[in-house]
Amino acid sequence: MVKKEKEEIKIHLVRISLVILAVVAALCVGFHFLAGDQLFYRDSRSNIAMVQPDGGVAELSAGVVVDQIFTTEIERVESITIYWGAYYRINYGTVNVQLIRLDTGEIYMNGSFDASQFGEGTPTTVTAPEPIENLYGVPVYIHITADSAPGSSATPLYLSTGAREGCTLYLNSQPIPGLLSFDVNGTDNIWIGQHYWLFVAVTLAVIAVFLLIENILYIKGRHSYLVNAILAMKKYRFLIDQLVARDFKTKYKRSILGVFWSFLNPLLMMLVQYFVFSSIFQMDVANFPVYLLVGTVCFNFFSESSSMCLTSIIGNSGLLTKVYVPKYIYPLTRTISSVINMLISFIPLVLVCLFTGVHFEKSAVLSLFFFACLTVFCFGLGMFLSALMVFFRDMQFLWGVLTMVWMYATPIFYPEKIIPEQFRFVLDINPLFHFIKNVRICLIDGISPEPLVYIQCLLIALAMLVVGSVVFKKTQDKFVLYL
Amino acid sequence: MSRKVMIEVDNVSMTFKMNTDKIMSLKEYVTKGLSGKLKFDKFTALTDVSFQVRKGETFGLIGCNGAGKSTMLKLISGIMKPTKGTIRCNGSIVPMLELGSGFDFDLTGRENIFLNGAILGYSKKYLTEKYDEIVDFSELGEFINYPIRTYSSGMLARLAFSVASVVEPEILIVDEILSVGDAAFQKKSRARMMKMMGSGTTVLFVSHDINQIREMCGRCIWLDHGHTKMIGDASEVCSCYVRS
Repeated sequence: MVKKEKEEIKIHLVRISLVILAVVAALCVGFHFLAGDQLFYRDSRSNIAMVQPDGGVAELSAGVVVDQIFTTEIERVESITIYWGAYYRINYGTVNVQLIRLDTGEIYMNGSFDASQFGEGTPTTVTAPEPIENLYGVPVYIHITADSAPGSSATPLYLSTGAREGCTLYLNSQPIPGLLSFDVNGTDNIWIGQHYWLFVAVTLAVIAVFLLIENILYIKGRHSYLVNAILAMKKYRFLIDQLVARDFKTKYKRSILGVFWSFLNPLLMMLVQYFVFSSIFQMDVANFPVYLLVGTVCFNFFSESSSMCLTSIIGNSGLLTKVYVPKYIYPLTRTISSVINMLISFIPLVLVCLFTGVHFEKSAVLSLFFFACLTVFCFGLGMFLSALMVFFRDMQFLWGVLTMVWMYATPIFYPEKIIPEQFRFVLDINPLFHFIKNVRICLIDGISPEPLVYIQCLLIALAMLVVGSVVFKKTQDKFVLYL
Repeated sequence: MSRKVMIEVDNVSMTFKMNTDKIMSLKEYVTKGLSGKLKFDKFTALTDVSFQVRKGETFGLIGCNGAGKSTMLKLISGIMKPTKGTIRCNGSIVPMLELGSGFDFDLTGRENIFLNGAILGYSKKYLTEKYDEIVDFSELGEFINYPIRTYSSGMLARLAFSVASVVEPEILIVDEILSVGDAAFQKKSRARMMKMMGSGTTVLFVSHDINQIREMCGRCIWLDHGHTKMIGDASEVCSCYVRS
């Protein structure tokens, strides 16, 4: 009978391998479609931000010429912005801003603005029709002229003590000290994006080789990781279903609203936080309700799954000492029931998004990737905690405190920019922050984060999974002795 | 004796580390560890036990309390790993160590049949097929749709036995469970056990009731403080055990 079972799965393994390959390929194509331009270009890290001005260069009447020479390392220059001063009066005439290459004199951008619209600090932005690609490290200059009469001319703002490497400010072709207040924005090419299909091909090839090895091993009769995982999944699927169903049924048993609480709970929490932080603390965040709700949903899932996993082994001690079941089943089922809870809380999330006028771009689908990473991360953490709990029962009290610390260290209800620069590292090492931030980018900003972020998040999640499962595997034989 | 060996226990020893007072917290662990007070007493539950059980045999384990019978069963069912030696089992095991482990008192009898069945490793299809049989055997009737916290202990035991005994496993591990329910149910459950044993299942049987062992087992092992005292024909071993 055992033999028969083996043959049955052997047929399946080839098919499963093909399905896995097809799914990965489909995901890669789907990602290419969903990520859009963000796959190829990211905001340049060399963008030049304005210096805070302390005055005007000169009254820019007809005949006066201001030139700011600079070099940039932006790979695709898209726009430049100049800031104007108006001497607190109404000016007349037209100003002209050009971006010119120093050595060839080629004009890349050209924009004219009505000086009568200028107030103090008014920005004017010239955008290139197509991103300019060949300016990396090339000296260029911003050429500013006007046709205004003296006494009714505006002035470009500058910092008289400012200086930047490779930058020189000229007034009527004479170099003067100081630095014009200007922004240069553009995008850089992303290596992965430019070589996306190569990348996909390599990934698929690696997976194909892995599957081939698995198949060969299987035919030789040796059970490898994949086969064991499939066998375990087949064998324990029903048990997992039953345990998840039990978690779920007993959670809301004897409460009147029942499962509805999974839906209501994050919504009510969001409302309370929204009231507290928007009216009392005056947070300034775009679409604060959705911002809050994303944080709440993610963090609720995290704290629920981790605290449930924490007690999963000791809570099932009655079973563990009586029946043999692979022990990872217990943290796994707890994580799965938390995931179901999270999926239910997506409903209020979507409703609030619609209600507050979020446009679901195609990038919204990509947020699921980060939810998946979060789930994997929580499962890894859950295994780690459940194993630790068996040996050190203090964890249950300690974990409550740690969860609270973690909550305050994660921008759930405050914007990330209020964290002072010297504490930024707290966010950078906080995995939850990365997951939550990127979900927000996908949902609220409606664009995809850059490709590197996906790899980063995936690696964070897998690292936790590996740590968790290694600790769990090493200690699981001793569980029974300590229960 | 050419039948397939189903369970092979080879030189198995089991040692527990028992710290004098059970240290559970990190702080205590560190402070005691630093002050050198961290001592483990070793307790040996089994020493070099070896035996084989062949297909279709009913194998008994006897011995007084603390002889290591339950430890042996736990080792065979895979709940614990032996400190030394190897255990090999060829076939699916259904452990009936303590009935009703994994029952959830807030769930109904029906839900618990599926939950407990899943824990014992039955498939969904099998449970759905056998569901009516389980309910009939347990004689619970209408109560099956009520949460089991409303059950009497007799009802619980009947439900547990009915779920556990519905399968035809290759290896069945039984730890004194024949005294379940009232006299009528005991008779019924015994009949079912006998039927299971007759149908080619390999049974590992622990009981303090020597008559039961004599009646049901072919061979048996007598354990005494973790050592094999005697192994062989059931009636012979039982006579020696009674005499001692």
